[in-house]
Amino acid sequence: MLTIRLENLIKRYGDVQVLHGIDLEMADNEFTVLVGPSGCGKSTTLRMIAGLEEVSEGEIFVDGKPVSHLEPKDRDLAMVFQDYALYPHMNVAQNISFALRLARRPKAEIEKKVREVADTVGLTEFLARKPGALSGGQRQRVAMARALAKDSGIFLFDEPLSNLDAKLRGQMRAELALMSQRVQKNMIYVTHDQIEAMTLADRIVVMHGGYIQQQGTPEELFKRPVNKFVAGFMGMPPMNFLDGEIVEHDGGVFVKGDGFDVQLIGEKAAKAQKHNSKQITLGIRPSDLAFEADAEPARALKLDVEVSEYVGAQSVLLCKCGPARVMVEVNSQTPVALGQTLTFAIDPGGVHLFDRNTEVAL
Amino acid sequence: MASPNTKANPAFYAVIALLVFMSVGPVILMFMNSFKLDVDIISGSSGLIFLPTIQNYEKALCDVLWYEPDHVDFCSLKFGGAFINSLIIALISTVLTLVIGCMAAYALVRFRFMGRDTVSLSTLMVRMVPPAVLLVPVFGLWNNEFCLDRDGLIGGAIRDTFGGRGDVCLAGTHSGIILIYVAMNLPFVIWILQSFIVQVPRSLEEAARVDGAGPFQVFFKVVLPLIKPGLAAAAIFTFRIAWNEYLLASALSDRDTRTMPILIVNNMSEFNVEWGVIMATGMLLAIPPIIFTLFASRQIITGMTAGAVKG
Repeated sequence: MLTIRLENLIKRYGDVQVLHGIDLEMADNEFTVLVGPSGCGKSTTLRMIAGLEEVSEGEIFVDGKPVSHLEPKDRDLAMVFQDYALYPHMNVAQNISFALRLARRPKAEIEKKVREVADTVGLTEFLARKPGALSGGQRQRVAMARALAKDSGIFLFDEPLSNLDAKLRGQMRAELALMSQRVQKNMIYVTHDQIEAMTLADRIVVMHGGYIQQQGTPEELFKRPVNKFVAGFMGMPPMNFLDGEIVEHDGGVFVKGDGFDVQLIGEKAAKAQKHNSKQITLGIRPSDLAFEADAEPARALKLDVEVSEYVGAQSVLLCKCGPARVMVEVNSQTPVALGQTLTFAIDPGGVHLFDRNTEVAL
Repeated sequence: MASPNTKANPAFYAVIALLVFMSVGPVILMFMNSFKLDVDIISGSSGLIFLPTIQNYEKALCDVLWYEPDHVDFCSLKFGGAFINSLIIALISTVLTLVIGCMAAYALVRFRFMGRDTVSLSTLMVRMVPPAVLLVPVFGLWNNEFCLDRDGLIGGAIRDTFGGRGDVCLAGTHSGIILIYVAMNLPFVIWILQSFIVQVPRSLEEAARVDGAGPFQVFFKVVLPLIKPGLAAAAIFTFRIAWNEYLLASALSDRDTRTMPILIVNNMSEFNVEWGVIMATGMLLAIPPIIFTLFASRQIITGMTAGAVKG
C-alpha cells in the first residue's frame, strides 16, 4: 500500500499565497488527475509532492511517513515534465538509464531494463539517437520511458501532452491509459485539458484559485458538480448558464428568466422551494437539450438559432435565449435553418441549479 | 544585410584584401625574417631573395638542441625553461580559472543569496581595471606580504629544497604568476559562462534531481557537459591571455620562472637588437596557442541543448 496524503498544504511566494490548504488523499494504484485553469495551483501542488518546491506549511505523507523535508531523490518518485527535459548530451538509452546509473545498479540489469522499457514505449530502434534527432512524440516517449525505468512507487506527470499536436495528443493519451493499466502505480497527473482528465482519471481533482473545488470520479464530476465553476469546467462544449428566479405558479415550481420559464420537477423542485434565495442560475448541458418541435413548453427552451457548427456526426448550434447564449448539441441530420426559432426539450435529469451569489449547487 | 550586388563591388574585395594583408602581413614578415641573418634584416632590402638560414632558430633553441651550433659561442637563452614555465603557468591558470569560474557562474545564475547582484556586477567592473594598475600593489604584496619566514617550518623546508637566500615569497614563483592570472581572467570567464548556464533549461536540472542526482551530480553530469562550448571558448581566451601576458610576468617572475614573452625581450640590449632571434622565438611562441585553439575549438559546437525541451 502506497498512499499519498496531503494535509493542509499551503504555498506562499513572499506575501502571495497561491495554495490555501490542500487536503487530499490518494489511494494505492490510483490515477489521480489534478485539473484546473492556468494558475490554479495544480502544478505547484505536483512540484511540492515531487520536492521541487518547498512546502510553506502543511505536510505530505507517503505511506504514512512525512516526506516534505526530503530531497526529490529520496521520495521514490519519477516525473514526466511538460517540456520533456531530456538530457540532450545523452542518447536515448543513456537518458532512460540515467537514474539507474546514478543508483549504481549492475550493468546487466540496467541493459535489460532499458531494453524492456524501450520495448514498452516502442523506442527500441532509436536507442542510439540523441534527443535532438527525435520528433516531438518520440521525445515524449523517451520522457515516459525514463520515468518507467526508474521503477518508483509514484509517477508524476506535469502536463505531459500539452506540447504535442492534437492528433498525437489523442494517440499518446490512449497509450498513457494503456500504460497506467499495465504498470499499476500511483499516478498523479496535472493537466488543464478536461478531456485528458475525463479519459485518464480514476479520480479527478478540480482546482481553482488555489483551492480544491471538487474531487471524485469523472462521472460524479460530470453529473453532480458541486458548484458553477466545476460545472462549467468539465464537459465540452461547456454547460449553458441561464440566470433566473424561482417562482411558483400553476401549482408548480418554475425557474423564470428572460426568454424562458422552465418547470422543476421532483427533488430539484423541493430543493429550490426550500432555498433561501430566489436568485438562481439554471445550468443545462448542450447534450441535455434535444430538438423536439412539439415539446411541452414548461419542459423546453425556445431558442433562436444563430450559428451552426458542423463537427461531423454532431452539430453544435449557437442559439440565443433572451440576452444569454445557449449551445445545443444535435445530430447533424437535424434539419436546422439559421434564424429559426426552435423548441428544444430539456432532459429532466440534466437540470442543474446554482445559487447566483455563492455559485454553489443546490 | 548586404544585398548581392554589394558583394560584387570591387571596393568590397579591396577592403577584404586590406584586412587580410593587415592581419597576415606581420606574420609573413616575421616568418621570413626568422630565416634571415640580422644583416639582411637590417639592410632594409625587404626583398624576397635571400639565403634562408636556420641560424636564428638554432640560436633561439640553443639550450634544447642536441648538438652545438658553430655560430653560437655562448648559449644565453633558456628557451626550454621558459617554454616549460609558460606552459605550466598558462595551463594551470586556465584550468584553475575554468574550475572556479564555472562554479561561480553556476552559483550566480542559479542560487539566490544576499549580494548576488552586487557580486555579478562587480565581477564585470573588476574586469574593466587595466592589469597595469594592479602591477605596483601586487608587486609589493607578492614581495613583502605573502612571504613565509625563512626560519619558519614550511618556509625553511621550501628554502632547503629549492635554495635561495631571503624569505620565501610569492614573487618569483609560478604560483605567484598563476594566482594573478587567475584573478585577472576570472571575471571575464564568469561572465561568459553565466550566459551559457542561463541557457540550460531549469527543468533538466529538476529532472536530474528527481532521477536521483545530488547537487554535485546535477552540476557535473548535466550542466557541465551542456556548457562545454562555453568552457572551450573561455579556455581559449584564458590560455591566450596567460600565454601572451608580458607586463605582470616581467615584474613577478625571476630567472627561473621567466615566461616566453620575457625571453623574447631579453634579446634586446643596449648594444644590439637580435631581430633574427626575436622573430624565430616569436614564431615558436605562436605554435602552442594555435594547437591549443585547434583542439579546444572542436568543442565549440552550437546547439548543444537541442532536443532537451520542446522544440
